Amino acid sequence: MINDLFNILLPQSCLGLFIIIQLLLAMFLSPRKYPLARIISIIGILLSVCLLSTVQIEPQYFAFRNSLMSDNFTLLFHFIILSCGFLSILICGNLSKKIKTNAYSFQALLLTAILGAMSIISANDFLTLFVSVELLSFSTYFLIASLKGYYSKEASFKYLITSAISTGVFLFGVSYIYGLTSSLNFSEIYEIVVSKEVTLLYSFASIMTILGLISKLAIFPFANWIIDVYKGTETSVLAFISTIPKLALFGILCRLIVFPLGTSFELTFVLAILSIITALWANSYAIKSTNVKAILACSSAANASYVLLAASLVSVYNLSTVIFYLICYVIMNIGVFAFLNISESNGIGINLDSFKGLFKKNPGVSALYSILIIGLAGFPITSGFVAKIYLFSAIAHSGLIFIPFLLILLVLTVVALYYYLKLILPLFESSSQEQSMKTTFSQTFVLAITVAITVAIGVYPEKIIELCRFIAYNI
Amino acid sequence: MENLLSIPFLIFMPLVASLFLMSPLFTNHEISIRRFAKAVFGFHFLYSIIMLIFFDSANPYINEINIFGLDWIQSLGIKFAFKIDNISLILVLLTSFIFLISSISSKINIRKNHKFYYSMLLLLMSAVLGIFTANDMFAFFLFWELELIPAYFLIGGNFSNSSNQEAKKSAIKFVLFTFLGSMFILLGILLIHYYNYVTTGTLSAIFDSIFVNYIPQGIQLLIAICFLIGFGVKLPIIPLHTWLPDAHTNAPTPISIVLAGVLLKTGAYGIYRFNYQVLEESFKVIAPVLAILALINIVYTAFVAYSQSDIKRIVAYSSISNMGLILLGLCAYNQLGLSASIFHMVAHALITSGLFMICGIVQLRCKTRDIDALGGIATKMPRLFGFATLIVLASIGVPLFAPFVSEILTIIGALLSELSFVLKICAVFALPLLIISSCYMLKFLHCSFYGELKEQFEKINDITMHEFVVLASIICGLIIFGIYPSAILNLVGAY
Repeated sequence: MINDLFNILLPQSCLGLFIIIQLLLAMFLSPRKYPLARIISIIGILLSVCLLSTVQIEPQYFAFRNSLMSDNFTLLFHFIILSCGFLSILICGNLSKKIKTNAYSFQALLLTAILGAMSIISANDFLTLFVSVELLSFSTYFLIASLKGYYSKEASFKYLITSAISTGVFLFGVSYIYGLTSSLNFSEIYEIVVSKEVTLLYSFASIMTILGLISKLAIFPFANWIIDVYKGTETSVLAFISTIPKLALFGILCRLIVFPLGTSFELTFVLAILSIITALWANSYAIKSTNVKAILACSSAANASYVLLAASLVSVYNLSTVIFYLICYVIMNIGVFAFLNISESNGIGINLDSFKGLFKKNPGVSALYSILIIGLAGFPITSGFVAKIYLFSAIAHSGLIFIPFLLILLVLTVVALYYYLKLILPLFESSSQEQSMKTTFSQTFVLAITVAITVAIGVYPEKIIELCRFIAYNI
Repeated sequence: MENLLSIPFLIFMPLVASLFLMSPLFTNHEISIRRFAKAVFGFHFLYSIIMLIFFDSANPYINEINIFGLDWIQSLGIKFAFKIDNISLILVLLTSFIFLISSISSKINIRKNHKFYYSMLLLLMSAVLGIFTANDMFAFFLFWELELIPAYFLIGGNFSNSSNQEAKKSAIKFVLFTFLGSMFILLGILLIHYYNYVTTGTLSAIFDSIFVNYIPQGIQLLIAICFLIGFGVKLPIIPLHTWLPDAHTNAPTPISIVLAGVLLKTGAYGIYRFNYQVLEESFKVIAPVLAILALINIVYTAFVAYSQSDIKRIVAYSSISNMGLILLGLCAYNQLGLSASIFHMVAHALITSGLFMICGIVQLRCKTRDIDALGGIATKMPRLFGFATLIVLASIGVPLFAPFVSEILTIIGALLSELSFVLKICAVFALPLLIISSCYMLKFLHCSFYGELKEQFEKINDITMHEFVVLASIICGLIIFGIYPSAILNLVGAY
């Protein structure tokens, strides 16, 4: 037991320790010291990143009676999740005006969510998975609700209700799987499923299980929470919410689809249809929207659906594209939210009109933001272009029946370009009230580093792709 | 010499210059920005002429860029591979020349944001050169998409003193149309890439090494149609043309020159590379249909051009009409048709940049482009009138000018085509219908230059030295290629 802890669980335990520290500080220190609380969180995350080097990965390591596992795949995802957490905590800034919650407990919630996401990735049985998903979800409910005002409470409640329903669906599916295989462990289920023919009931159970999970990704049947949540949430928290649950859930989806649940064609088909519906819905909603956060919500749902489509067409090639796309997407997304955070802290609204004329007084920041949005739209010289080509080539390589899906996605990309252009064009317009924005060092740092990574991957993607392929082949 | 003449240098020199110009290192001083840009364009033109001198059609220039010994995306078999064969070389020279005259004529039209303007112009040049020289389908696609960013800003940007809301709208229209087309191109490329992988087991998208013979006929046709939609937006082929008149009319004059002179040719070049060369079999099937579309292009837009009252719109529609002729030459699917259509690309680029130049000068002096409001300016601008007459005569196909040769050769090429009788019929119809073009061109000349001089135009001046140089070099080009067409035809390999 202790051995297992030291072999793979040190990063998580470190985070746990810092959560306890934050909670203790919350009891004793003044509740409004946001900068201090932030520094403690950052130290915790950095320590945890360092401790990743102690994790045993070769060969796959199973711990705690096979309920947790660790290999290259989990290590990579842990690293990305921690870095995303690090970046999104960096852009937080001083939240004391916007948030009533105690500073330390707020940061403790962020760390808890990261902990939950990391546990999701390393889960190797359905119970661990369930507990970790709930750990992530519960801290997100509170994070969403922490902003002052009515909307955040509404958003949080909507998310809570949707998640509750989807959790029910998930457990329903898991109970069927347990009934059919009498096991909750992924490896055992995989062995049982491979040895005999897949029944329709098993396909049904796996569809239910996956449906329960993908609600957090805003895929169709549970999609409409995302716009309210994005509108009602504080921007730096949003940077967190739009990346970390996505990474965690896609990480575990890849594992689930490749191993225990992937053998059914019905699942692939249902997921493909659902992702196409989501993409259609999200893109068409975004066309008319004038709220920047709503547009980004739609973009998030749309991107999730593209990735889901690629992930559902099971193959190792696809898996590597999914990992690559996720990496590129989360980095660009965090950068965009860093810009939104800068503009919000300077009192600029989140309507498209309020962005007018920002370029003239803030050329540097606006140019970086434009590069990120251009990257999201998939133009060359950014990682978005490579990710787009790589993901679409994966779908094209999955066979001719998926060509119609690919065609729909390609056309939707044009629609997406329209609303991405809406996000950046106002910056270059002339406006009567041009104001220059003050930025803090950490916000500019996040913006610059995300742009640097985006452009670097766009110019020379080979190394990252190689890494993704290596991980996908060794999963 | 081979080490000195590298394609990456040719393509990325403008890109580096553009980044340097955009960076804060460069001064904001207007004249030095302009001189720097002109120097880069001029040097580039010289460099491409040197490439022409040392060109040997038996071994075309081939370059590949490796970063740390690896291809660009090795796992997908995507390379930054470049190749300049004879047709690429002609188009590279053309691009270089058109961008040079566009930058010279920018002096009068561009009043604000010089730094941004010239860096975007250089970036656009880089992208266009990339399109013309790429030897890998994905590299081609990369440049194809890269081109949209500078083109958007150049069309919709705020470079004159009056803010122009229409220009922004048409720039968005241009970007969305082209992006939609490029998505179809991507689909086609991915399908070819996939089938190549399935049959040969290697991931590669190099033009020369693609074998399409074992792709099922139906799928080949599907891929060909995807490419045609994609390039048809740029060319443009008739139902996909609606972005063009707006974009060309609302863009600043130097950008209209670049758009009509070079960017439309990328569409024709794409059809040549992808449909004509790679997907030969399906091109033979599609060619008759395409020829009919080309005929519709020629005729329909000629009538539309005649009914326009905005002089810039007349020129914009006339270029769609001419692009139809280029398409007809390609459809003929013989050496004569091909070389005629390449020749017409050059001729049309020269004419249309001259015409846009004249429109820009008239607009600048008279503050209007309406054909009814103009009139009689020949008395005040005799030199411009002279140039306008020459260019209009050239564009309606008077002998001694390049378009005469290319139009006749295109028609003969289509008549000699062995593909289908449809092509012969198209050729027979296209020849008399070219007369319509002389109707609208003469209307353009007549209504704007002849007649009584209107009062408000009493104080306008004749052309400046810059404009004179540009127009004179265009006329020189037209006459040289008109008298000695073999300069291009030999290079393409017609005879």
